[in-house]
Amino acid sequence: MTALPRAERRSGAPYLFVAPAVLLFVAFLAVPIGYAIYLSARGLRLTGKGIFGTREEVFVGLDNYVKTLTDPGFFAGFGRLAIYGLISVPLTLGLALLFALLLDHAGSRAKRFSRTAIFIPYAVPGVTASLLWGFMYLPSTSPFSYLTRELGLGEIAFLGAGGIYPSLANIAVWGGVGFNMIIIFTSLRGIPSELYDAARIDGASEWQIAWRVKIPLVAPALVLTGLFALIGTLQVYGEPTTVKPMTPEISGDWVPLMHIYRDAFVRDDLALASAASVLLAVGTLVVSVVLLKVTQKRAFGGMQ
Amino acid sequence: MRITRLAGSIAVLSTAAVLTACSSGTSGSTTSGSTSTPAAASGPVTLEFWCWGTTQKPKIEAFNKSHPDIQVKHTDVGGGSDTAAKLLTATRAGNGPDAACIEYDTLPSMIVAGALADISAHTGDVKTAFSPEVWNLTSFDGAVYGVPQDVGPMVLVYNKKRFQELKIEPPATWQDFAKVAADVRKKDPETYLATFAPAEFGNFAGLAQQAGASWWKVQDQTWTVGIADQASLAVADFWQGLIDKDLVKAEPLLTPEWNNKLNQGKILTWPSALWAPGVLYGIAEKQAGDWAIAPLPQWKEGDDRVAFQGGSALAVTKTSKHAEAAATFAKWMNTDKAANAVQIELGEYPASLAGQQAASTSAPPKLTANQKDYWDIATKAAQRTIPHISWGPNVSTASSAFQDAVATAVRDHTPLRDALTKTHDLVVADMKTTGFKVAGP
Repeated sequence: MTALPRAERRSGAPYLFVAPAVLLFVAFLAVPIGYAIYLSARGLRLTGKGIFGTREEVFVGLDNYVKTLTDPGFFAGFGRLAIYGLISVPLTLGLALLFALLLDHAGSRAKRFSRTAIFIPYAVPGVTASLLWGFMYLPSTSPFSYLTRELGLGEIAFLGAGGIYPSLANIAVWGGVGFNMIIIFTSLRGIPSELYDAARIDGASEWQIAWRVKIPLVAPALVLTGLFALIGTLQVYGEPTTVKPMTPEISGDWVPLMHIYRDAFVRDDLALASAASVLLAVGTLVVSVVLLKVTQKRAFGGMQ
Repeated sequence: MRITRLAGSIAVLSTAAVLTACSSGTSGSTTSGSTSTPAAASGPVTLEFWCWGTTQKPKIEAFNKSHPDIQVKHTDVGGGSDTAAKLLTATRAGNGPDAACIEYDTLPSMIVAGALADISAHTGDVKTAFSPEVWNLTSFDGAVYGVPQDVGPMVLVYNKKRFQELKIEPPATWQDFAKVAADVRKKDPETYLATFAPAEFGNFAGLAQQAGASWWKVQDQTWTVGIADQASLAVADFWQGLIDKDLVKAEPLLTPEWNNKLNQGKILTWPSALWAPGVLYGIAEKQAGDWAIAPLPQWKEGDDRVAFQGGSALAVTKTSKHAEAAATFAKWMNTDKAANAVQIELGEYPASLAGQQAASTSAPPKLTANQKDYWDIATKAAQRTIPHISWGPNVSTASSAFQDAVATAVRDHTPLRDALTKTHDLVVADMKTTGFKVAGP
């Protein structure tokens, strides 16, 4: 009988400690998400007042979801994202891994300089990077097109129909390699050197060490960077928006987030934009969970 | 719309020197207009005011000096479409400003959103200060939703020096325009007479209106949408022909690419409006004096009409607690001599008749500094603008739909007229979803 009050007393403290986190979570995450879901079921509809009538907010049920899910433009955006992602994600991760391995290689020189040089583009704001590359893509300001023109080869259509995906992906790769490299490099430094010694005693070459020891051991970092890259791809917005005024190739709904922004602030349909945002968020969550499930065993199995 | 904003921001750079001279000179000259302030009962009224552009600051300083009872606090929340978007959000949240600048084409959507106050009770004394077609831009069925600020009658801005080099004359009709365009391509294969910009909704609307199109009409709350009417389709076909024959180049305006070509003399004209010389001066300062304006080509020989492109009015919001003071402010800003003088100085074409009169005796803008008949052509353009142009309740939707559809058409080489039909369908569907009665397809 005496144990009971003690148990009660014990049960109060955890709540107290967890309260700030819960409050912050509720105020800055749960409530906004709830509000977005609430908004997504609303819509501005005309009432009879005024000379043209007045638009007022009413409950419209699932109208906005139906409209979003039946809008080919929204899905076309995901199609473009897929092409963009297929170019940018493997390139970013591949180059990041390559640079990290090179930096980790005992024989490489000027490591500090190389590391900084590769990392610096990450510190350049996305909009600046997009403008910078945009100028290098436009025929009359592009140094590359200048060279090819002087050589009599004509201009390179960086911002044309075929060039737009690699051109935009290039901006992301340029900016993203440094960050991902640092994560993988940090992970590489954490591998105990005994493993390398053991491998060398067994007669493994540097190439084999990289392939059979280093890469499997940095797999968790690769999964992490892969996940970041995937989510980053789903959230692409800045680069195409900045480059948009330079080319008719990029429409106002080129990627899902541009579609959402346009609905919310150009077409003044916050409710429709909320519905699309909810769908995008749920989609991102599902894809992330699936990716983690698929890769978990491979990535974290060996570490446990 | 994007352009008028640009015009403003570029004017900052080019006329900063003039600005200081102006603001010091205006303080003593605020004699005309309504200086009597009705809201003097309980200390000075403070008005929140949102507007973009370089003319606002000196005008407001002069207003505050001459109106001790009304003090205006100015915030630049961004160009035309940004201000409109923010105004909608803020008034819905109940914390909007008292007054704001609104572009003419977005006025109806603001009215439908219930964001603006009818100030007809306070504007009786300034109605005659504007021409009827200008006044019609802000008044609907007797209700007045703003005082016109600046207008952009359309003209052809052209590089006169290059025209003389190539021995060509500004075209009088659009048919001539096509011929001159072909001539230019023959004489200098690197040069185009003009470009066709897929994103310029307001420009295309103006050209279509000139051809007789009526994109929106409303009677007894029933709308008629004509974005793909015969006149508009004919205009689309005209540009289609020029693009297909490589007589004009389809590419966006005011990009580094475009600016560069313009500076190299490879783009010779910009069919736009009276604010354009200011914009071009900002990107091609070296060509100051080389350019001139000509009347916009006509669709039929002997015709004599143009549309407006761009321009804005000063509106009072519904959430304002000082509607009368705000109306006084709106009137002063656009009819007072000192205010008009600032506009002219900074390259804005005033909406008021007196302001336009004053402009006609001032020096031409720097880009066209050598053109003696600049203001004659400008005044004529202003006098022959088409009356009763009305805009719809979802112009921003129409604009974004137009940009996407036309950009796609230009990219995929599909007909421009189909892009117009697509825009039309989307606009009508959007209006029907919201609950507007729309006549016809």
